Amino acid sequence: MAPDPYSASGSGSAPEEAPVKVPSKDLKKKDEKKDEDFSEEDLALKQQLELYVERVQDSDPGLQKVALDSMRQEIRTSTSSMTSVPKPLKFLRPHYGTLKAYYETMEGSDLKKSLADILSVLAMTMSAEGERESLKYRLLGSEGDIGSWGHEYVRNLAGEIAQEYTKRQGEEAPIDDLMELVQQIVAFHMKHNAEYEAVDLLMEVEDLDLLVEHVDSTNYKRTCLYLTSAARYLPGPDDMLVLDIAYMIYLKFEEYPSALQIALFLDNMQYVKQVFTSCGDLLRKKQFCYILARHGITFELDEEMAADDDNREALQEIINNTKLSEGYLTLARDIEVMEPKSPEDIYKAHLLDGRASAGASVDSARQNLAATFVNAFVNAGFGQDKLMTVPSEASSGGSSGNWLFKNKEHGKASAAASLGMILLWDVDSGLAQIDKYFHSNDNHVIAGALLGVGIVNCGVKNDCDPALALLADYINKEDSSMRIGAIMGLGLAYAGSHNEQIRSILTPILNDNQAPLDVIAFTAISLGLVYVGSCNEEVAQAIIFTLMDRSESELGEPLTRFLPLGLGLLYLGKQESVEATAEVSKTFNEKIRKYCDMTLLSCAYAGTGNVLKVQHLLGQCAQHLEKAETHQGPAVLGIAMVAMAEELGLEMAIRSLEHLLQYGEQNIRRAVPLALGLLCISNPKVNVMDTLSRLSHDTDTEVAMAAVISLGLIGAGTNNARIAGMLRNLSSYYYKEASLLFCVRIAQGLVHLGKGLLTLAPYHSEHFLLSPTALAGIVTLLHACLDMKAIILGKYHYVLYFLVLAMQPRMLLTVDENLKPLSVPVRVGQAVDVVGQAGRPKTITGFQTHSTPVLLAAGDRAELATEKYIPLSPILEGFVILKENPDYHEEN
Amino acid sequence: MCLSLAVSVKWQKETFSAVEIDASQPPYVFKCQLYDLTGVPPERQKIMIKGGLLKDDADWSTLGVKEGQKLMMMGTADEIVKAPEKGPVFMEDLPEEEQVVAVGHSAGLFNLGNTCYMNSTVQCLHLVPELKSALIKYPHAGRSSDLDQSSHLLTVATRDLFNELDKSVKPVLRKKFPQFGQLHNGSFMQQDAEECWTQLLYNLSQSLRSPSCSENPDTVKALFGIELVSRVHCEESGEESSETESVYALKCHISQEVNHLHEGLKHGLKSELEKASPSLGRSAIYLKDSCINGLPRYLTIQFVRFFWKRESNQKAKILRKVDYPVELDVYDLCSNDLRKKLEAPRRILRDEEGKKLGLKTNEKSSGSVDKDVKMIEAEGSSNASGESSKTTSQEDKEMHLTGIYDLVAVLTHKGRSADSGHYVAWVKQESGKWIQYDDDNPIPQREEDIPKLSGGGDWHMAYICMYKARLLPM
Repeated sequence: MAPDPYSASGSGSAPEEAPVKVPSKDLKKKDEKKDEDFSEEDLALKQQLELYVERVQDSDPGLQKVALDSMRQEIRTSTSSMTSVPKPLKFLRPHYGTLKAYYETMEGSDLKKSLADILSVLAMTMSAEGERESLKYRLLGSEGDIGSWGHEYVRNLAGEIAQEYTKRQGEEAPIDDLMELVQQIVAFHMKHNAEYEAVDLLMEVEDLDLLVEHVDSTNYKRTCLYLTSAARYLPGPDDMLVLDIAYMIYLKFEEYPSALQIALFLDNMQYVKQVFTSCGDLLRKKQFCYILARHGITFELDEEMAADDDNREALQEIINNTKLSEGYLTLARDIEVMEPKSPEDIYKAHLLDGRASAGASVDSARQNLAATFVNAFVNAGFGQDKLMTVPSEASSGGSSGNWLFKNKEHGKASAAASLGMILLWDVDSGLAQIDKYFHSNDNHVIAGALLGVGIVNCGVKNDCDPALALLADYINKEDSSMRIGAIMGLGLAYAGSHNEQIRSILTPILNDNQAPLDVIAFTAISLGLVYVGSCNEEVAQAIIFTLMDRSESELGEPLTRFLPLGLGLLYLGKQESVEATAEVSKTFNEKIRKYCDMTLLSCAYAGTGNVLKVQHLLGQCAQHLEKAETHQGPAVLGIAMVAMAEELGLEMAIRSLEHLLQYGEQNIRRAVPLALGLLCISNPKVNVMDTLSRLSHDTDTEVAMAAVISLGLIGAGTNNARIAGMLRNLSSYYYKEASLLFCVRIAQGLVHLGKGLLTLAPYHSEHFLLSPTALAGIVTLLHACLDMKAIILGKYHYVLYFLVLAMQPRMLLTVDENLKPLSVPVRVGQAVDVVGQAGRPKTITGFQTHSTPVLLAAGDRAELATEKYIPLSPILEGFVILKENPDYHEEN
Repeated sequence: MCLSLAVSVKWQKETFSAVEIDASQPPYVFKCQLYDLTGVPPERQKIMIKGGLLKDDADWSTLGVKEGQKLMMMGTADEIVKAPEKGPVFMEDLPEEEQVVAVGHSAGLFNLGNTCYMNSTVQCLHLVPELKSALIKYPHAGRSSDLDQSSHLLTVATRDLFNELDKSVKPVLRKKFPQFGQLHNGSFMQQDAEECWTQLLYNLSQSLRSPSCSENPDTVKALFGIELVSRVHCEESGEESSETESVYALKCHISQEVNHLHEGLKHGLKSELEKASPSLGRSAIYLKDSCINGLPRYLTIQFVRFFWKRESNQKAKILRKVDYPVELDVYDLCSNDLRKKLEAPRRILRDEEGKKLGLKTNEKSSGSVDKDVKMIEAEGSSNASGESSKTTSQEDKEMHLTGIYDLVAVLTHKGRSADSGHYVAWVKQESGKWIQYDDDNPIPQREEDIPKLSGGGDWHMAYICMYKARLLPM
């Protein structure tokens, strides 16, 4: 700026406004061309401030003080507005240097501190980048109320504190003065609806604990929401710390369901217990139990958590999911989809002309098997269908027997097991209906019945442990199909239970050198499922020894992939805990070493969104291998497993996978559709749908098969008409290729999973919690799909039933205080991200009002449309208990 | 330890509370108690106690059952599922030849090098069941003297080939079939499918007429022959004569004005010819006006798409789009005599269609049942050509022609000249589905795509259409 021609003009006049105005008018005329922007008031203010600056440098402390006070007054009154650069600051800019120089010459006094305050504010706009002068003068200043200088100043200061903090950390200098300031700033932010800025600052200075004392009932929700969302993007242990704080805050404000969700996210049973012990209300505890049940973990209540025996039993029953079947059927009845559907209703062959097979008079075993699976998937959990449960008293032998025997050999196992799927979660009638197959003289049928028992009990616990009682006898039978049926059944029924008994009966099989490889493979998977995410040493040892013992030729078998996978499941989501085992795996035979390495890594970091791991896995995929190695398949799946945690990483992973398709080797291209399927499971994104549709016509049949199955996965339980249409066209396109047609049929069954009432998404509670058993089930299937021909198209098609672990009703069912279904109006719409937004933003958009029970699609959120009830869980998903609102008054 | 305790037993959806256990007795006794309650025989009962099954010989004291404990019982009195005595036969288990039934259409034919013209012709003719049955009756050895060796061989080969096509799903290697090219010019050149078609039919008609097939003296003629009555008229002299002839195909001439099959057929039935006029003593232009006097069971229509182009010395192709209907009515191409005969059946057909009865399906099924003895209506054959189809068997209802035809096969050509390009057959199966036979590769097609083969581009275009008569039993 040019030297101010007016700087001396007002020097003789008094600080009153009137005399100043007169010359200013004249001057203005003179200078109109030069500075037209100044209005009269501005000019006056400018001169006024210049006067103050001069006065500050006066020798008289009295005058100095008056000048400083006036200046402060001027600045404060103007900074209250945040919309533009305050005028006083603008006009004082040229004098910053002068004031700073003068400050240095001043004696230490109150006046000096006052000047430091003003300099601190001025430094906000003037200070050179990285100088942090604002902070410097603030620390030298009077330490008055920080908020009096305005919001912008506080923010600026916070930024400088963060920089200063890292600098001092590096120098190991004391930070006490900074922390004092931080206290002030945090208090200010928390009071002024800027929780997220407070959180940001505290995260920068690594002292989140401070937050707890500053939150109050008005802002804790927003604070915690910000904390939990931020945790997704934080590295290493920081995220755990942030969630810990959020947990503590929730607990402090008795927001128990949210606290419980964080406890589950941290997989911290101690915290879960604390939630139960902190809360005294039985009804709320029941809601906790519903949340636990949805998460799919086994949790035993003790007397501390529920003192009364009867109450405890009632609570445990909810955790055991015994009412899941009932609730699901309530939903089905409400939506009126109880009528069983046949595979033909799904194929809709009448919509295709010409190509549909013209009334084949001879049964095709493969097509019948496909129909068996389609029937099982579509009617899952409904307890009735048109193939297996048709009234058997109709004729001797029953038609169900007829369908069963329309399958060939191992196909009969899948057919018998499909009964378990149809009667899913309904243990009482399920076992009764499966019973008759136990007395069959066909080993495949018995194997299917055993597997069926496991499927029925999947996700449901029963006091009498019927699955263990029934299956335990069969795991050491001669016939390996029966053994596999029993072992897989146990794995499904006790997934995530960490059940000692199962371990004690299954580990000996692993150690048995005589056991056939397929039995071993399924044992490893079952143990992995039962001990999912437990880091259990003994199980890990058993699997490791098996991997070391087996001959090299066996290690090359397609089914061997289940051994490393079983090992990986033990460490699902456990991050660093896997390292010891990963070291051991380096000593394995080279045939399996890398496969094992990739599997362990991807399992351990599944659902963490860890970018470094994604990069590592991408690096593995970028290599062009000379030898046909198999480890790149799990690496591709691993990218999806790690990146599926949050939306942003997920989008990036989808993009990266597209690149892999371009330059990847064939074994990578085969895994890419599966990875896409995992990323968007039960969430058909249009771009992924298109990619898969393109790949489903790939010249490489394995790629095409994987793409077809993945189309089913992304549309699972959505009834998505577009995918259904695509699959219909594929069914005519591939009408001659039995194996591809089989895949198309399976995918069709998946799209109509549970007639559209079920989801396979392992994430629940608004995409916050990841159910470990659900993910384990999906991952197992995907690994099996890496060698489709040998496993699913071979005689191990029943691995498709691993999906049962991920099946959950995608519903909102509101119940009253007696846990009876209660229909209330709810608004269902697309969830909106409200993190860090000001005010009270709408949480859903484009909503429709329904009455419960309702279906929730991926990305949907529900909110009550009535004030009459208060939900006991902030997240309206699954079972939600409603309490009458005592403050509610009926209109009229 | 007390000797008796009460437990509750859960069975299916029921719970039996306070079932007494006499701990001094083996569990079998307890099971019998439950038999009384549930009707499930003891050996079918499975009683679960905390992750274990209750064994018949177990000792209650070691099981540690507590008073009031809940037990769970599984078991039903249902009949045990037994495998049906005769298991289903799976397609995968069948020998490959038998899988044809399931596929729903017959096999393709391998291209032996420029033989698509013949493949497609054979596929079209293979559709005609009457021809097949006539061929089956053709004796292997009984060659009559009036047939030459090659046509006998051809007939036999056709018969064998048809047989093979019926059985197999695998593309048939046409090893036994004598080269068409050998018969004509001994080369393996691409040929005109129409030539092949006529030649083949001619050969078959010769050999199948032979006395050995006594019951159907001229099958081919009965099936494909069209009686034409022509009036030859000379403008100049006013001479008029009439002649009859029998042809195997109607020609659809394609000129500028022709957009539709019907127009082309009308054109084809009118021709000019130059011949010596006896009255004028010199050659004069005669107009020949033909109309149909006898309709066949299978009406073949050839689109005259190729003409000899002198400049290029090859058969050039007319690409003009000529629509053809899926249902063809030739009533107005018929002679007055024939029209009279057709009127009655047509009226009935109209009436019945008016009633919206499932007439079409009836007719078709009945038509295929008595394929061997189906003959063109009797009256229609009593004319000069000596059409000998006056055989009406007593047990069958007489089948009447209606003059209405349904499209059953299209032989298409793709390319710019008759001796090049590619011939493909599009054939309607008995199931009503259309199959495109592209040499050894049968591809199912949709019915609405069939009329799109009408030309006007470089896509496959119809060259020969075969229509099947809609018959009416009376």
